[in-house]
Amino acid sequence: MATTTASLTLTSTDLFDDSLSLSNTSTLHKAGTTIGLDQTTGLTKTYVTATTQFDPFPVVKGTTNAGENGRVYIANLSEDETEYIIVTIGDLVIGRLYAGDFMWMPWSPKAQHVNDIEITPSVATGMWVEFMAIHNFANIYPDSDDS
Amino acid sequence: MAITAGITLTSAAGDLVTDALVLSTSTNLTKAGSATALSQTSGLARKTTTSASQYILFDADDYPSGPAKAGKIYLKNTETSAALFFTISIDTKTIGRIYAGDFAFLPWSNVDGTNDIKITPSTSASHTLEYMLFYE
Repeated sequence: MATTTASLTLTSTDLFDDSLSLSNTSTLHKAGTTIGLDQTTGLTKTYVTATTQFDPFPVVKGTTNAGENGRVYIANLSEDETEYIIVTIGDLVIGRLYAGDFMWMPWSPKAQHVNDIEITPSVATGMWVEFMAIHNFANIYPDSDDS
Repeated sequence: MAITAGITLTSAAGDLVTDALVLSTSTNLTKAGSATALSQTSGLARKTTTSASQYILFDADDYPSGPAKAGKIYLKNTETSAALFFTISIDTKTIGRIYAGDFAFLPWSNVDGTNDIKITPSTSASHTLEYMLFYE
């Protein structure tokens, strides 16, 4: 069984009068079970040179994804603090990741174009972006050649 | 002032994939387009639900709005029973589910005061969620 763990830390010594030191670790399981998620898109690193929206995890046309426990990691590797990527799901803007920012969130892709995740870079001068999904969905690319 | 968020994703060789996965990154949480740290927070909070109804966790009207406002949201399902989950939604859009022990860390674009952050427990049994918002 695949065992993948995610750990998150949030720290600050000066946000409050008290210090913040939050730490969590979780094992990634299939929905409602203790069986590990066993598929991944792999960690992709890409250099984007247009402000065109793109889909890092394409959902297969005409299908649905019943599994509900995918996880998505996206990071903006830019070092220019003014550069950002806009992350959307379907037609809803989740938020912006500025230089160095990352996100880690659950994902229910459902049918194509319903909950597709999209990334829109803020500049066309070149930005590095990194992303990966860990999941057990049947219907995100790559797709069967017959379909 | 500085707030640092770090994430590590690990899997042993031959487990998720043939090679080992060891991804680790961290970032300082800053205001939009600047190196100045986010300075406001909701504080770390806990909510125990006893209904399967949808709850508004962060009402967008209560926070500064606009495309160039940075916000970060932390959510954790503190339950231990694998079947219990929260469905996370923004406005009317379902994002996904966090099951027992799972957490999420995501940006929040409160563009026009409509992007409420909402949770829906999987059952009416007691479910506890931990959550926190950092914003400018």
